[in-house]
Amino acid sequence: MKKRLYLELENCIGCRSCLAACTQCGGHEERNRNYVYDVNPLVNRQTMPLMCLHCVNPACARSCPAQAIQIHETGAVLSALVEKCIGCQNCTIACPYGIPKFDTEQNLMYKCDLCIDRTKNGIPPMCASVCPSNTLQWLTDEEIGNRKKQFNLDNGKWVSSLPYLESETNVKVNLPGILQGIEKLF
Amino acid sequence: MQAKVAVNQKTGKSIDDAFASHFAKSMFLAVCGLVFLSFIGTRMFTHVDLNLYGYMVGTFIFIGGFFYRFIAWGERPPTKVFIKKGIKILLRRSTPKTTVEHLATYNFIWNRGIYRWTQHVLMGWGCILSCFVTFPLVFGWMYFTMDENGYYNIIAMGIQVMTVPADGLIAKLSYNALNITAVMVISGVCMALYRRLKNMQARAEQQFMYDFLPLFMLLLVSVTGLALTFMNIFMHGAGQPAMSLIHQWSVIITLIYLPFGKLAHIPFRPMSVFARNYREHYAEQSMKGCKVCGNEFVSTEQSKDVIEVLGRNDIEFQAKEGHHLAEMCLPCRRKYRIAQFSGFPIHEVKVKEANQDAKG
Repeated sequence: MKKRLYLELENCIGCRSCLAACTQCGGHEERNRNYVYDVNPLVNRQTMPLMCLHCVNPACARSCPAQAIQIHETGAVLSALVEKCIGCQNCTIACPYGIPKFDTEQNLMYKCDLCIDRTKNGIPPMCASVCPSNTLQWLTDEEIGNRKKQFNLDNGKWVSSLPYLESETNVKVNLPGILQGIEKLF
Repeated sequence: MQAKVAVNQKTGKSIDDAFASHFAKSMFLAVCGLVFLSFIGTRMFTHVDLNLYGYMVGTFIFIGGFFYRFIAWGERPPTKVFIKKGIKILLRRSTPKTTVEHLATYNFIWNRGIYRWTQHVLMGWGCILSCFVTFPLVFGWMYFTMDENGYYNIIAMGIQVMTVPADGLIAKLSYNALNITAVMVISGVCMALYRRLKNMQARAEQQFMYDFLPLFMLLLVSVTGLALTFMNIFMHGAGQPAMSLIHQWSVIITLIYLPFGKLAHIPFRPMSVFARNYREHYAEQSMKGCKVCGNEFVSTEQSKDVIEVLGRNDIEFQAKEGHHLAEMCLPCRRKYRIAQFSGFPIHEVKVKEANQDAKG
């Protein structure tokens, strides 16, 4: 059963477990590849995570002169192949979300690979497996469909990805609480 | 679209019009070059080592595959930009230093780990030196003659370079050059295999066909090559003819495979010098300021090129504010996305970026 990463952004409590877990994934060499941002830093404590959304037509791979960014059969957009990456940093400029990181010492780009060693075997990525507030979830399309029914949005405002993103992505993003105008209690 | 068609129209006057395609032209020039060099090197084909004939055929097939792969690769819009501009700005003062650091001493691999650097130097230089010995011998650019008993003449490109005693140091190094490089490659491959078996990070990502197969091929080439020496010295040449065919087969298969698998990074790697030059050259010319915070984050040229390359792939990241997303610096671009979700323009708030360095 194909599962995908599903984000309910407003659940985020800013604990940064996802960042810490990311460092521990095989191949990540103890450096995290995702981000947590304040939403309105001088006013409230709300945070939101941001990570590679694994575009269906990824700009990073399209702009890579070395074909170092490969797309896995699961749809995950992989980190640069170490022997191919020539260190031009085109991908960091092309990505509409500013996700790829670059190591000038190693002359190497690195980005979220959706923990491909785990997800290719159906195991959730590190970030989703540790998230304590269900911001990051690892769900089948059917389960994501159930979410849609559960939130019972009759205003047609259910969103997953578009129009808040630039193009279709394999990671689905949603903001049900904000769109319904309700506050969630945990 | 009209403009693109016009650019591709043939004028009928360029030398390029004599050839059906880039591939045909490159192949023609490469084969002519090899034949010409061999003509000179072998003193008009009088010193061809026909024992190495198989390698010659293998090399021609390799060149065909190499051009096919390289040209297909070079036709991609971003690659084309880097090749064109890389050649244009090749004569920079920093080019020799960058070339040595990227292609000879592998400083960036040193920064990825000393163990990986060691294995890469052993394998890389083992292969490069082997090629420097093998191909001149195959095409007759280098051969040995003996006028006087006990002395070898080394002939390079048809010119007698030096005469050395047959049991001297230089002669010994020449006889054993491929044995030495074989030991280098075998040690490097063994280190690489050990790392791939033991290192958890390598194990997480590696695939047998992509990561292991090239190592086994290099190992096969080196072991069968060393076996030839072993059979000559310790077995009075028993089995040598069969082993020489096995060795030849392994080398030719590896050559033909080279442009298509992991080993393709060997001929493609010089692009990293182009990329470094490109970044340095255009950064000196003018830097692009972020449309939101004003910080300079990339050269104007690269920002322009990326936008154009994305445009050719029908990807247009136009922000509502009127600029392209590639014109924003990375932190601003991330905050801009958060702003799209939350509705609050955090990218316009001048506060330090939140902590992004959680330790596991």
